[in-house]
Amino acid sequence: MLSKFAYYKPESLEEALSYLEKNPRTRILAGGTDIMLLLRRNVEICEHLLNIKGIPEANTMSYTPNEGLFIGAAITVNEICEDVGIRKRYPSLSGAADNLASYQIRNRATVVGNICNASPGADLAAPLLVYDAKVHIASTEGNRIVEINEFFAGVKKTVLKENEIVTGVFIPDVELGDNSVYLRKSRIKGHDLCNVGLALRLTPEKRLLMAIAAVSTTPLRLTELEKSVEGKEITPELADWIVEEIKKYMNPRPNSVRSSAEYRYHIAGVLIKRGLKKLLEKEAN
Amino acid sequence: MCNHNRKKDCFEYVDSQLPRVPLELVVNGEKVYELIDPTMTLLDFLRNNLKLFGTKEGCGEGECGACTVIMNNKTVNSCLVLAVEAQEADILTIEGLSKGGELSILQQEFIKHDALQCGFCTPGMLMSARALLDRNPDPTVEKIKEGISGNFCRCTGYQSVIDAVLSAAKREREELR
Ligand SMILES: Cc1cc2nc3c(=O)[nH]c(=O)nc-3n(C[C@H](O)[C@H](O)[C@H](O)COP(=O)(O)OP(=O)(O)OC[C@H]3O[C@@H](n4cnc5c(N)ncnc54)[C@H](O)[C@@H]3O)c2cc1C
Ligand code: FES
Ligand code: FES
Repeated sequence: MLSKFAYYKPESLEEALSYLEKNPRTRILAGGTDIMLLLRRNVEICEHLLNIKGIPEANTMSYTPNEGLFIGAAITVNEICEDVGIRKRYPSLSGAADNLASYQIRNRATVVGNICNASPGADLAAPLLVYDAKVHIASTEGNRIVEINEFFAGVKKTVLKENEIVTGVFIPDVELGDNSVYLRKSRIKGHDLCNVGLALRLTPEKRLLMAIAAVSTTPLRLTELEKSVEGKEITPELADWIVEEIKKYMNPRPNSVRSSAEYRYHIAGVLIKRGLKKLLEKEAN
Repeated sequence: MCNHNRKKDCFEYVDSQLPRVPLELVVNGEKVYELIDPTMTLLDFLRNNLKLFGTKEGCGEGECGACTVIMNNKTVNSCLVLAVEAQEADILTIEGLSKGGELSILQQEFIKHDALQCGFCTPGMLMSARALLDRNPDPTVEKIKEGISGNFCRCTGYQSVIDAVLSAAKREREELR
C-alpha cells in the first residue's frame, strides 16, 4: 500500500463524525471492496481511514410494517441475499444482490458502499431507484435525508460533503401485489460489472417504474418514460415502443473496456422485453 | 493509475514506516499478538509476518480468490482486508485444515478427484469449500457453484472441484456426525 493513512475505528456515530470534522482528507472504509483497490493502485491517497463498521446504527437492519426497511451502512450484500423478507417484498433488490461480484466479495461489500462508490454500473442502484429509497446522512451539523434519485452527481460522484457519513438507506414499504425484477448482462455470469443493469417494478395499481445502470454517467431513474406509459396496458407493442424510447435517455461511453455503445443499446432493449415478460408472468402466478 | 515505472513498485508490499499498531487475533486456533504497519493487508500479514505461505496472492484485487481465508466463519478476500480490521478476529487459513499431520476429509477428496493441477488456486478454493460445508453440510451443485464463485481456477475446469466437494460433503455427513 502506498497511501500512508492513520486508521481509526470508532464505536459510536458521534466519535466518527467529530473525527471526520477534525481530519480533512479522511476516507470512509466500509467493506473496502472498492476503496482498497484505489488505495492499492495509488489512485486515491488519503491521510486517514475511518472504519465505520463499529458504529451501532450502521449495524442495524430493521423492517417496520407500513413504514419500510432500514439498511444500515455496515450491512453486507450477503445479508440482503439471505433475508427472506426482502426477497418477498423487494425482489429486484435481492436479485441485484445475488448478482453482485462473488460470494466472498458479498461477505464484505455493503449496500451503502455500493451507492456511495457511485459507479455508473452499481448493481444495487437501479432497485433502490425504483423503490424511491432515501439516503440517511449525518454530520456534526445534523442529519439530512436525500432521495436516491438526487444522490448521484456523476461518475463516482455523489452529493455527499467531506464531513458527512451515510448512516443507512431506507426503503419505503410496499403494498401486497407489488412486484419487481432485476436483470443484468455482463461479459461473464456474475463476478463482473454489468454492461446494463435494469430494474422494473409494477405496483398493484399497475404503475410501471424503471431504472437502468451502466448506460450513462450515473444510474438512471426513467421518470419521464414512466409518465409516458402511465395508464397503458403492458403489451408486446408497448414493450417495442419502450425499447426505442429508452435509447433517448441512454448516454453510454462510445467504447469502454466492457462493451461498445451499440451493444449496450441493443442489450437494454433485450432486457426491457425480457423484464416486462417476467413481470407479467409473476403477476399471473 | 499509478506513476511507477515498474508494476512491482506499486503492488508489492511496501512498509509505510508509520507508527506500529497492536494487533491481537487468533490464527488457526493460536493466539497472535504483534505490532504491525496499519496499512498492511491481512494477506501480507499472514505471509510476511506469520510466514503462512499457503494463502496465495494472485491478483491482489479481489478478482481471483487465491487469497481466500475464513474470518469469523465467513470467507473473505484477504487482499482486500486490512490486517488491523482483523482485530480480535478468528482466522482460519489452509494451514489450519489438517489436524495432527493428517489431511482433512475435504483435502483428501480434492486429491482423490484430481481437483487440482498447478495448485495455485487450491488453498483459496479449499477455504471457500470449507466455509460452504460449515454453513450447508449437504449443498446442491448450484450451491457449490455459488460458494466457489469467487475462486478462479485456470487448470481444472471446476468439474472435479465440484465432485470433490460433493463427495467430501457426503463423507463428512457420514463420518463426522
Ligand atoms: C472483484 C470485484 C467484483 C465486483 N463486482 C461488482 C458487481 O458485480 N457489481 C457492483 O455493483 N459492484 C461490484 N464491485 C464493487 C464493490 O464490491 C461494490 O461497489 C460494493 O458494494 C462496495 O461496498 P464496500 O462496502 O466494499 O465499499 P468501500 O470500498 O468500503 O467504499 C466504497 C466507497 O464509498 C464510500 N463509503 C462507503 N461507505 C460510506 C458511508 N457509510 N458514508 C459515506 N461514504 C461511504 C467509501 O469512502 C468509498 O469511496 C466489485 C468489486 C470487486 C473487487
Ligand atoms: S489475490 Fe485476493 S482475490 Fe486475487
Ligand atoms: S489448479 Fe491451477 S489454477 Fe486451479
